[in-house]
Amino acid sequence: MSDDTFDAIVVGAGPAGSACAYTLAKEGRSVLLLDRGNSAGAKNVSGGRLYTYALELVEPGLYERAPLQRKIVREQIMLMNDRGATTVDYFDPGFGEAVPQSYSVIRAALDEWFAGEAEAQGAMVAPGVVVDGLIEENGRIVGIRTGEDEMRADVVVAADGVNSLLGQKAGLFPDVKASAVGVGVKETIELPDELISARFGVKEGEGAARVAIGCTEGISGGGFLYTNKGSISLGIVFNPEQAGRQTRHIQDIFQDYKMHPAIHALIEGGTSVEYGAHLVPEKGYHGIPKQLSRDGFVVVGDAAQFGINTGLIIRGMDLAIVSGLAAAKAIIAAKQPADVGTLYRQQLEELLLIANQQAYQNFHGIFEISRIFREYPALANDAMQFLFRVDGKKPKPMLKGLLDIVKRNVSFGKLLGDGWKIYRHI
Amino acid sequence: MPKFLVLYKWTLDEQDIKVKSDDLSLDASRAKGKISDFDRNAIEEAAAIVEKQGGSVEALSYGTPTVKQSLKDVLSRGVDKAYWIGDASAETADAAVTAKVLAAAIRKIGPYDFILTGEGSSDQFNQQTAPRLAALLGLPCLSFVHKLEVDGAKASVARKLADCTELATVTGPAVISVLSDINKPRIPGLKQVLGAAKKPSEEIALGSLGLAAEDLQPKASRRSVKGFVMTRKNVIYKDAPADAVAKLVSSLAGEGLI
Ligand SMILES: Cc1cc2nc3c(=O)[nH]c(=O)nc-3n(C[C@H](O)[C@H](O)[C@H](O)COP(=O)(O)OP(=O)(O)OC[C@H]3O[C@@H](n4cnc5c(N)ncnc54)[C@H](O)[C@@H]3O)c2cc1C
Repeated sequence: MSDDTFDAIVVGAGPAGSACAYTLAKEGRSVLLLDRGNSAGAKNVSGGRLYTYALELVEPGLYERAPLQRKIVREQIMLMNDRGATTVDYFDPGFGEAVPQSYSVIRAALDEWFAGEAEAQGAMVAPGVVVDGLIEENGRIVGIRTGEDEMRADVVVAADGVNSLLGQKAGLFPDVKASAVGVGVKETIELPDELISARFGVKEGEGAARVAIGCTEGISGGGFLYTNKGSISLGIVFNPEQAGRQTRHIQDIFQDYKMHPAIHALIEGGTSVEYGAHLVPEKGYHGIPKQLSRDGFVVVGDAAQFGINTGLIIRGMDLAIVSGLAAAKAIIAAKQPADVGTLYRQQLEELLLIANQQAYQNFHGIFEISRIFREYPALANDAMQFLFRVDGKKPKPMLKGLLDIVKRNVSFGKLLGDGWKIYRHI
Repeated sequence: MPKFLVLYKWTLDEQDIKVKSDDLSLDASRAKGKISDFDRNAIEEAAAIVEKQGGSVEALSYGTPTVKQSLKDVLSRGVDKAYWIGDASAETADAAVTAKVLAAAIRKIGPYDFILTGEGSSDQFNQQTAPRLAALLGLPCLSFVHKLEVDGAKASVARKLADCTELATVTGPAVISVLSDINKPRIPGLKQVLGAAKKPSEEIALGSLGLAAEDLQPKASRRSVKGFVMTRKNVIYKDAPADAVAKLVSSLAGEGLI
């Protein structure tokens, strides 16, 4: 390595960038990992559940060194109306067997740890550096610019997140469109650890992950909640276009979610310690840009719009890690920088990232059914109320009662139509 | 060409320290280290002078073993070489102990023309290190400096006092403590950050300084640190504006505030 040239410069020390830098450094490549935060992850607020398999792909056992919060053993789906909530709770303490399937994480801690691991493998880590341009020569990307400084590399890896300035500068895709992203707001609320375990019915070190539907005033989106060590991450993700047409402010909708009796009982007495907002890629497979590389340049993670949202599962970090790994493997295997793009595609296939994206490729269409976000959760709660109500009055016949509830919330025609639409998209 | 030594303290970033609401104790578990604010000005001043007129800047810090984490940062700010003394005694050291340790280290690695430091540290703000150190080394001390010009071994300073400015000159060696308005510390660029990795640093073992046990024994010891919370009255007047203002004014007057 000459003074100013690296095998790779990785921009962004989120999960994608650190996974890439870690793998490259471990193979003895000279790699520079840059992040604009004062320390890696300092600005990353996303809520968090990390699917462990991704770290296992990078290196078996790596997850055991990570600052993980609680092993998720309860998966919960909560359908809300303004009175109450119907919650489905799947409890499986052995989920994932030998390697637990997923953990809640706090990004600031996770990102700092992962960048530190990359540094320990020999990567040069420089926080507090904003990359503001690319150096291009003869149609090739040969380095980056930051302020007055230039730095060169065989390959620049853009791991700079959902609104990837570098991907745009390289001409791979235009600025993000509001229709392609969700906006997430998230708050971290501190509570005594034992109290969290008690409220969620889990043991120390084990935790719950919950999605909430029906808390967004009909806007396409949903709520989430994760239990951490000594804190709860709580937030909502919603469609910004629909939210823009709304008269109510998002912070008010979020506040209502927090104050909803079914949520408030879980966070009561806690102290809010962190608040943030961030974009999430929403289009799944169809949102991935056609071109993920140029000569001397690849995009990974959110920058490549990798993401899966099934309504029940939000995945971004794991795909970020897998794609960072794929880019690193491509760079290691490439005889010359021009080969990296094709090898990267191959690795994304081999590591099954593309197959995962494809499996859910039409899910996004389901979220166009607006009734999912208000009418159906309300219907579920009305049905529950009907089934459990005992007041001494003459009950309606069971079937008629339920049909009336369906009719009151949606029409049969819509129910059938929506059912068909969901069936088609799955 | 002037030879500078800048003394800096590796403190906790107060932004991340929380005051616990029940007993006002401090929770620093999330707090990261940083170079104390005014010391950053001292480093910048020495580095800028040397970048303009030549010379050299070295830096020295005495702290707990975590002080080692400061090296990358300090070396990316225009410092040529960093010395560090990482010892648990720093946890309880008072200003007298700190000055003795620094003086002993300077006798070992010196001499320097100008020893710069911040007026006070972001955590304790004792404002004692510079004068105590100067006394121990038998050097002149100029504090509250907000302008500094160096010409060979001679320095001209402006000292910012309560309601006037004092201009003074001194011939080195001298100890100078600076205020935050003397300059705007740089945000190190990528080249400076990468360059820092190649610059030398040297650990000085506390034991090698020939200090007696009593020198390291603080005479002042801290009993507790507690957060300071302003208790608010939380009164909101919801009447029509004119009435609300009248009530507010009479309430403030009642408190003797206006
Ligand atoms: C509210 C919310 C909840 C979420 N919940 C989950 C979840 O539970 N599970 C899950 O798997 N995913 C979740 N996601 C998605 C997940 O956060 C992302 O998919 C993941 O962070 C992508 O990682 P990344 O490394 O690609 O990008 P990022 O994590 O966004 O990292 C990009 C990094 O690049 C840096 N950077 C950007 N531009 C520059 C520049 N010009 N110069 C220098 N540095 C730069 C940034 O500082 C940042 O550190 C959630 C997202 C949100 C918003």
